[in-house]
Order: sequence, then C-alpha cells, then structure tokens
Amino acid sequence: MSERPTLHLRDRAVKALKDDQMRQAVRKAVDRLSANKDKAARELPNWEEWREQTKLIRQHTVNHLDYYLKLLTDNVKKAGGKVHFAPNAEAARKIIADLCKEYNAKKIIKSKSMVTEEIHLNTALEAVGMEVVESDLAEYILQLAGETPSHIIVPAIHKNRNQIAELFSKVAGKKVESDTPALTAFARKILRNKFISADVGITGCNFAVAETGSITLVTNEGNARLTTTLPRIVISVMGMERVVPTFEDLETVLSMLPRNATGQKLTSYVSVINGSRQPGDIDGCEKFHLVIVDNGRSRMLADEEYRQALNCIRCGACFNVCPVYRQIGGHAYGSVYGGPIGSVITPLLEDDIDFWGELPYASTLCAACTSVCPAKIPLQDLLFKLRHRRVSDGYGQVVEKFAFNMWKRFFKLPSTYKFAMKVASLGQKPLVNNGYITAKLPLLANWTNSRYMRAAADTTFRERWEKRKK
Amino acid sequence: MTNIQEDIAQETMFLQTVAKALGRDKVLTVAPNRKEVGPPAFWREQKFEADQPLTLFKANLEALTGKVAIVNNGVEATNQIKLWLKVLNAKTAIVWDHPELRKHIEFSSLGVKTELWNSDKSRQELIEIAEQADAGITWVNYAIGYTGTVALFNGANTGRSVSLLPPTHIAVMHKSDIVPTMSTVMRHLIEQRGQGQLPSVVDFITGPSRTSDIEMDLSIGVHGPFRMWAVVIDN
Repeated sequence: MSERPTLHLRDRAVKALKDDQMRQAVRKAVDRLSANKDKAARELPNWEEWREQTKLIRQHTVNHLDYYLKLLTDNVKKAGGKVHFAPNAEAARKIIADLCKEYNAKKIIKSKSMVTEEIHLNTALEAVGMEVVESDLAEYILQLAGETPSHIIVPAIHKNRNQIAELFSKVAGKKVESDTPALTAFARKILRNKFISADVGITGCNFAVAETGSITLVTNEGNARLTTTLPRIVISVMGMERVVPTFEDLETVLSMLPRNATGQKLTSYVSVINGSRQPGDIDGCEKFHLVIVDNGRSRMLADEEYRQALNCIRCGACFNVCPVYRQIGGHAYGSVYGGPIGSVITPLLEDDIDFWGELPYASTLCAACTSVCPAKIPLQDLLFKLRHRRVSDGYGQVVEKFAFNMWKRFFKLPSTYKFAMKVASLGQKPLVNNGYITAKLPLLANWTNSRYMRAAADTTFRERWEKRKK
Repeated sequence: MTNIQEDIAQETMFLQTVAKALGRDKVLTVAPNRKEVGPPAFWREQKFEADQPLTLFKANLEALTGKVAIVNNGVEATNQIKLWLKVLNAKTAIVWDHPELRKHIEFSSLGVKTELWNSDKSRQELIEIAEQADAGITWVNYAIGYTGTVALFNGANTGRSVSLLPPTHIAVMHKSDIVPTMSTVMRHLIEQRGQGQLPSVVDFITGPSRTSDIEMDLSIGVHGPFRMWAVVIDN
C-alpha cells in the first residue's frame, strides 16, 4: 500500500512542525470543517440516534460482508456490469491496466478515490504508457505538484494559492492569476477537454448498494458525474467494505457523510449509478467494470475488534478534532490514510506492526476521534490495542520497557512502593522547579523536551494519613 | 481454463476468504436477519405540513445560491425560463425530451435555440451541443425539501449531460413532487427496482457545482453548472 517513507514518525513530525504555512492552513481547515460539522449536527434532529443507526448498519454489513458482496456481485452482473476481484494491490493494478489495454485506452480521467491512491494505480498505468489525469481540483493540483493528499476531504489544503497559480501557469504556458475564480476557471477549461477526450473513466466508490448493484458517488465539483457520463468505459474501484445492503441504508449513510465531512446537508452531487447504460441511453458508459479490492481488509475482518475500523464511511471528522493531526498535518503520517483512522488501518492493511506500528503513537488517546465518529468506531481503543500489540510483539522501546519493569517491581508490594515514593521525593529535589520537573532528563528526553512532569509531593499521602490519624 | 471459469474461480476464492475471516466455512447465501434498517425510526415516522416541503426546498436551495420560482401553470413557467435565459444572455439550450416537460414548457417560446436530447442525433452530436449550450433544462422526478435537492432520473431521452455540461441548469417540477426527505425517493426506487425499472442513473443535485479546495475558499462552478435554478409549478 503506502510506499514506506525514509523518515520515522518522530522525524516526519519534527519536519512538519517546522512548516508554518502548512500548519496554519491545516488549523484553518480543521476549525472550519469542525464548526460546520457541529452546526450540521445541531440542525439534524436526534444526532446521536443517527450515529447509532449508522453504526448498526455498518456493523451488520461488515459482519455479513460475504453475503452482501455476493449479492452486490450478482446484481452488478444483472445490470450489465462486470465484477473483478483483487486480493491485493498488485492484482488490482494488473486488472485495471489489463482492462485499459484491452480497450486500447490511451487517455484516462479519474475522479477522487482513496483506494486508487492506496493501490498506487496512477504510476502503474503511466508505466504502461497511459495518460492519467486526476479531475478533482485538489487531486489535480497535487498531481501537478507530484504530491500526496494531506487531508481526506480537502487533500491539497497544504498548498496556497500562489503555489497553485504557479503550477497552473506552467500548464498554461502563461501567467494564471492567483485569485480563486481564475484558478477554478482554468482548471475547468483544461479538465473539461480531458473529460471529453478520455477513453476510460476511473472512479472510486463511496457506497455500493448490494440489493441493486448500484455504485454511489459523492462529489461537490461534479467530476465523478463527468467521469461516469462521458467516457465509453467506466471502471469503479472499491475497498471491499464499501457496501450497504439497501437504498434505505444508503439514505442513512448519505445523511451522515456530507454532514460529518463538510457540514453540508448533502453534497452538490450524489450519483446512484445502476449498472452500465440501458438500451436507448445516449450518454453514459457502454461497459462498466467494478473492481473489488481486499488488500489486507480480510485480515482486519478476522479480528472482531479491528473489524470495527471497516465501519468507517471516510468522512474525515476524526482528522478535524485530532490534536495531533492539527499540529502535524497529513503528510507526517507518511501513509495514504492519515489522521486517527489512518493510524488504525495503516498498520493493519500493511500488516506491519514495526514501521507502520509507530502511527498509533501519533495520538494523545484523548478519544476526541471516537466522540465524533459517525459510525462510532472506538478509535482510541483500537489505537491502544495496536500499541499493546506492538509492545508484546517486541517492538517497544528499551527505555519504556525498563521503566515499566521497574514500575512493576516497586508497585507490587506496599513496602517497595513506600520506598520508591520516598526515594522519588528526595531524589527529584535537584530537578524540581515550582512543583514541576523542568530539567531535561537524558533517558526521558522525548517526554521532558516537550512537557513538564509534575513533581512527587514532599510528603506522601500515606504519611499525611498517618499524621491525621494521630 | 476459459475466462469465465477463471473469473468464477477468482470470485469464489475472494468471497471464501471473506467468509473465512468471518469465521464461516462457506459464503453466507441466506439473507441475514436485520433489526435496524435505514434511517432512525423517528425520521421515518415524522409528519410534515402540506406546504413545508416547498418552503424548505426554496429556503435550502436559495441558501446555496439557487433561485426558486413558483408559478401557477406551464405558460408562466415558460415565461419564467424565458426571462432567466434573457438575463443570462443565453443563445442556446439543450432540453430533455420528457413528456411532462414538453407538456408544460413551450420550447419554441423560450427565445433561444433549443435542441432536444433524443435519438434523432448521435451521442457525439448531443454531447457537443450540450457542451456548447448556455443552459440545460430538465424535469424533476422528485425534489427534496429537507436538503434543497432535485432528484433526476436519467435515461434515454433524459440524458445526464443536460444537467451537467451547460453553465446553467434549470429544473422544472410539480409542487406535488416536492417531498420532505430522501426517504420517499428511496422507497420509490425500491418499488421501481421490484418492477425491474430502475433508471440507469439517479442524480441527486443540491445546488451548483462547488469546491473549497483552494485555501478553503468557496468557489462555484468548477466542473458542473455555475447556476442551479428551479421552477415549481403549483397547480
């Protein structure tokens, strides 16, 4: 999935913390998105009931995913589409590249899709000589810049208008003004031609409806509509959990996704595509292909706790409330999926608890993510469980292990505990300043560099208790 | 192995892996029991006043820069569209060849050159016309008050391009087709599906095309229409 960054999480975070422009942009974005979401949550009656219902629907679907995927497959076929199954990223890339070759495609237009980022589709298609163009405005900007998304809903939030104008000016061969209408108009003009000339349109899939074989695409720009309307071939790529049983369930998740993502009651466009075009249809695709991707998801499914992460509807609300995301932005996560949900699913999808297992530490375990998640995924429990697994698999830090061993030794018996408290209160004396340990301790530098530890009290609780009794 | 056998083998293997992860020997083929389906119970049971859907629809669409004109009959609807097209300085419009739209709107009186979306022309010609047109005019199957949404059922003579390629989209509807929430539309679709009559695409359209991708600055009309205006016939 994610190509491994060369730096470790800590160094990526340090680098990010020096990028003031990015951090300012991230703060602005998450504050705006969160405020909008809160407003939407107040406007929709019985918000908590909606969350509970979303959780139950997602849980039921994921718990019976074999049934619903089979139903979906049969119904897509009935509606004239073809379904392909990709156990991993390599298989998915091959299926899609082979389809494009089979149709003699040269030009491909894409609408925003996280799963195609996950399988690194673009580079694979470009390697076999295809022109691949991203049509979501932010994704187009990132493609020109050669960068990756830094937020799941507003992927190019780290770029400012001058940087975007520079990128567009290069494409135009002349200066493009940096005001938003000029930039948007330029992208519209360039991309409209790309839509018209594209041989194949590739989309993701926000939700598939099992009962009807429908693919639902949610956008504000309308690029997914263009991608599925103009090219003669459409390939939709979906992570295998992206399914709901019925249209009624679709209403529920559609009520939650935009409100949680941007605070909108509904996005500008929601297209429910029921197979390839029907007899007599004039626009729309002639051939429809659905590629269902596992790529580590069945591994998550096999664990009843981790399975809950598959309930995600990809709204990004957890990013917007996360104090860590707020400080370091999306790139420091180093993975395709960032934020709290990315920290949970990346080590699991990658099956790499050593390197990617660092991500669950990009969290304060404050549970803000869990408190907003529309599918009520217990994100901080899962982050905690992953940390636990990392330590029990032997990837923990030596200092941490030592500290906890000492803690275990001294806290086991009242006598050793008493002794430890006494030693701590005397031993800390040279380090204490106004009731806090402010000195930088060599082995605990990662802790003390960024925060003060409260000093142990002069007299212990037990001592004071004894005194009072007398 | 033939291709078909190979495809089936891959499907079987994939679904088997999923079943196994869920602790099953074989893929579940009997519909599982469900308690909770669709939106919360209170949502499905709520009652609305007769005029509420229209009031909500108007307020919600206008909040998204849309315009909503309420008229009494087809003649007034035609005049309203004509006026709007004049204000836009429009020269051409592409319109759905939809029986209701034809019944209510006099295309020849709109003051612009109108082209019908139907099989008299080729796909390429129609897409080119829609691309060049100043406005696209559609008939709305359902409008949703709660979100300010129009639901378009796309098919042969009701092409997707008409509401998508021109810079202005004008949608015409009966007041009686404005429903409070999406639930009614979903129920209708489930019935249609039962009769094997699902439209190829149902587009839920809520306001103009928009983006906040550049510095969170709202910009209208990135890929789709800049204007999404509605004419409601109240008869």
